[in-house]
Amino acid sequence: MRPEEEPHVTKYRTYVLVWVGLVILTGMTLSVAGMELGGWTILIALGIAGTKSGLVLNYFMHLRSERPFIFSVIIPLVMAVFLVFILLTFSDLAFRSGVK
Amino acid sequence: MDEAKAFVFEEARDDTGAKLGMWLFILSELLLFGGMFILYSAYRYKNPVDFHHGSRELEVLLGTFNTIILLTSSLSMAASISALQRGQRKLSMVLLMATMALGLLFLVNKGFEWGTRIEHGIYPNSPSLLTRAKGEILFFGLYYVMTGLHGLHVLVGVCIIFGMLKLIAKGKINQMRFVPLENAGLYWHLVDIIWIFLYPLFYLIA
Repeated sequence: MRPEEEPHVTKYRTYVLVWVGLVILTGMTLSVAGMELGGWTILIALGIAGTKSGLVLNYFMHLRSERPFIFSVIIPLVMAVFLVFILLTFSDLAFRSGVK
Repeated sequence: MDEAKAFVFEEARDDTGAKLGMWLFILSELLLFGGMFILYSAYRYKNPVDFHHGSRELEVLLGTFNTIILLTSSLSMAASISALQRGQRKLSMVLLMATMALGLLFLVNKGFEWGTRIEHGIYPNSPSLLTRAKGEILFFGLYYVMTGLHGLHVLVGVCIIFGMLKLIAKGKINQMRFVPLENAGLYWHLVDIIWIFLYPLFYLIA
């Protein structure tokens, strides 16, 4: 393997810590669902889900330790574009005048 | 002309290219499930009460248990790659087997879950379901399609991991050549991420 392609070997400890974080976040999602927060519940639940995905993407999927530019910038950028698609669709729905 | 005398047969490899290929596939999968999530959002926006009622019929504990199962399987998957990178071949294989077992356990749970729903007469186009409110019909339609497609992805993932196990056993994937395993890992983590979003949207809106 060429020197610049030397893999970044993640420590087992890092993985276990990320897992603990994910389990805790799952618990948090569960408790938020039990609370009476109205419209905020789903937003918080999605926010927590987004955080969990971020953890999986960065640590389990190694985005954080990838050297080539394509992984560290382009792919998160493309995901941000998808997010915009979703947000735009939802904004459209939210401001419709109720005509079916 | 010295180059002509020394033939070194190196495998033509492009690790970055291979990983990029898997990431592009992952992005296409995001489009696939993303489209369905948007559909869910639209219908939920229109039928908030019905979706709430539908969600109450799902068992939160089972869904939570399945979430933990997949999260743990991602841990064992990631750790198996680290193990292989360190040359710990046996550990890597054990961790992969654990990942497979957890994936299968997830599917078994899903089978029980669907089984109970179907026993209660709730399945796509069932007479009992069609008597319910429009929003509930939509909720369960989305439930079956999205968890079903996700379950199919889990099954494929288990098969892929099995394939990786065989390649490691043969030595074709090893400490010096592990990108195929990394790619299998990327696919598996994608499956996990999709469930991370499915879980709150179907089980926790009660």
